[in-house]
Amino acid sequence: MGIVLVRVDNRLIHGQILEAWVPAVRADCIVVANNQLAEIAFQKLLMESAVPKGIKVAIGTIEEMVPLLRSEELIDRRVLLLFANPQDALQAHRLGVSFVELNLGNLHGGKNKKRLSCTVALNDGDIVQLQALEDDGVKVVLQCVPSDRQRLWR
Amino acid sequence: MKLPRSVLLQVLSRSFLLQASWNYEQMQSLGLIYALTPAFRRYYSGAALLAAYRRHLEYFNTHPYLATTVIGAVLKLEEQAQHGIDPGFTVGEFKSALVAPCAAMGDAFFWGAMRPVAAVVALLWAFHGSLWGPVFFIALFNLPHFWFRVQGLIKGYGGGVRVVSTLQRWHLSDWAICLKQVLVVLLGFFAAVIGAAATDNLDAGIAWGLCVAPLVLGLCALMRRRVSPLLVVLVLSLLLLSWFQLH
Amino acid sequence: MFFPALGVTVVVAILCGLDRTAAGQFMICRPIVAAPLTGWLLGEVAIGLQVGAMLELLWLGRLPVGAAIPPDDSQVAVGCTFLAIMSHAQTGMPPQAVAAASLLISMPFGKAGQLFDRLARLANARLLNKAELALDSGRFEGLERFHLRGMWHFAAASLATLTVVVGGGLLCLPLFLKYLDGPLVAAAPWIWLLFPLAGIGSLLSGLKVPRASLLFGGSFVLGLFILALR
Repeated sequence: MGIVLVRVDNRLIHGQILEAWVPAVRADCIVVANNQLAEIAFQKLLMESAVPKGIKVAIGTIEEMVPLLRSEELIDRRVLLLFANPQDALQAHRLGVSFVELNLGNLHGGKNKKRLSCTVALNDGDIVQLQALEDDGVKVVLQCVPSDRQRLWR
Repeated sequence: MKLPRSVLLQVLSRSFLLQASWNYEQMQSLGLIYALTPAFRRYYSGAALLAAYRRHLEYFNTHPYLATTVIGAVLKLEEQAQHGIDPGFTVGEFKSALVAPCAAMGDAFFWGAMRPVAAVVALLWAFHGSLWGPVFFIALFNLPHFWFRVQGLIKGYGGGVRVVSTLQRWHLSDWAICLKQVLVVLLGFFAAVIGAAATDNLDAGIAWGLCVAPLVLGLCALMRRRVSPLLVVLVLSLLLLSWFQLH
Repeated sequence: MFFPALGVTVVVAILCGLDRTAAGQFMICRPIVAAPLTGWLLGEVAIGLQVGAMLELLWLGRLPVGAAIPPDDSQVAVGCTFLAIMSHAQTGMPPQAVAAASLLISMPFGKAGQLFDRLARLANARLLNKAELALDSGRFEGLERFHLRGMWHFAAASLATLTVVVGGGLLCLPLFLKYLDGPLVAAAPWIWLLFPLAGIGSLLSGLKVPRASLLFGGSFVLGLFILALR
């Protein structure tokens, strides 16, 4: 089946993912591609222990996850792919992870950030990267939880 | 310098107001500072206190009931930093590593499992007009709520970094799955109670109550397609009303 | 009778509104508690219990995870109980019928709750800005007060939601009860069963556990069997 949802969420694995999205898209595998997270051992452990037994979790750097996503191993899994920011999503896409839709979930606010919705705020770099993804044919959408209405990011 | 019990009690009671100024920028950050303050006033004063506040006024969002676990660990790490113990990462890094998994575990256990289980148990009573329903709900839900608030602060403050293994040992996400299975069983029984009540309404044999099952599954399928429960209830009620209007 | 009752309702509404997010989260705000509590204080606990029992499961599947805001079932529960008790006193219609009618009318108005809740949270951002400014100029005495002030915003949001629910209900409910009183009384026992049934469907649709259909089916059939033996 392959990838059923690709999401940018700076909180990575948290309640919205496990309680709302996993049942909604019937995912049975969560792949987190993030370079920082892969470094901190206890954070990785905690993330893994937050996921209940029946769901497979893979956490690693973007370069580790790209071959995994393209391999046969996940071919009959329903994969939920998580990135912490648009840059990682663009990098993975350029490295050959194919997806047609990118969900923007949580990108929390800060200085010099433009607020798109209550949960998504972008800086200029994010906007450039999302634009690049869109130019590559990826539909970028805003939808915090499945019960929210989906809308285009601009 | 170990915090006296009275200060920890203050931190605990302030943790109930963690979300009083919840906002989209930093979510519970001010709440965290509010809860940390009684302890911080013991640790620091003047410029050091200001610096500590600045350090912690950053994005913070976790499950409110498990927040005390994080708060306790933060207090321990701040204390160790004063004694020159360097764990190899900053308190901020530790905090941001801890919040999302705690949020996931808490959401799954409390919102996803404990609350609906308590609600269905309460409804089995309330459905027959018994006021024990609400009482059971409050008791059944708040027992684990308080236990985790208190235990979290104790384990967090006692363990510091080691709270990570405590969190793993609790297996909250696996418990959540177990409780959700209990929930499914309870929902099945509740559906049977509704079926029995429906056949009573009609003076029909209770076996007709079996018809409730396809109805539930149909509703469930509709809601899987993201039809809102409100819409379903309004439309079906209007259908019922017009049926009785015409007959 | 009307205004003292409204006063009591407002107090319960604010209490529940705060319990929902800002203070405590003891879950007094759940309809199964909030509605009977309102009913009890207004002297009609049975109506409150009926409203609470009907409403409890319906939106329970919508979780307050992260920044997501579920529909405000607390204010609907409190406001609806008030409306039902008032209509019951005025029209003398059976409790079940007024409870069902009030719910059907007040639930759509409850949608306003999400808007007001969001506004409260946006208003809280100003408190954060003030706190940041204070820290930048080297002051930290006010921090705790800035934080606590957020409760005013949540209280105001619950009051606003209650106003919409009760206001909308007072406008629409009399008409509804006047023209549909007959069918309402006849349909009420069915609407009373429909609400929890839809709630069960909604909860099941969001659950993803192993062997769910077996567990549900088994306990359903066994449950009916046990109830048949009674």
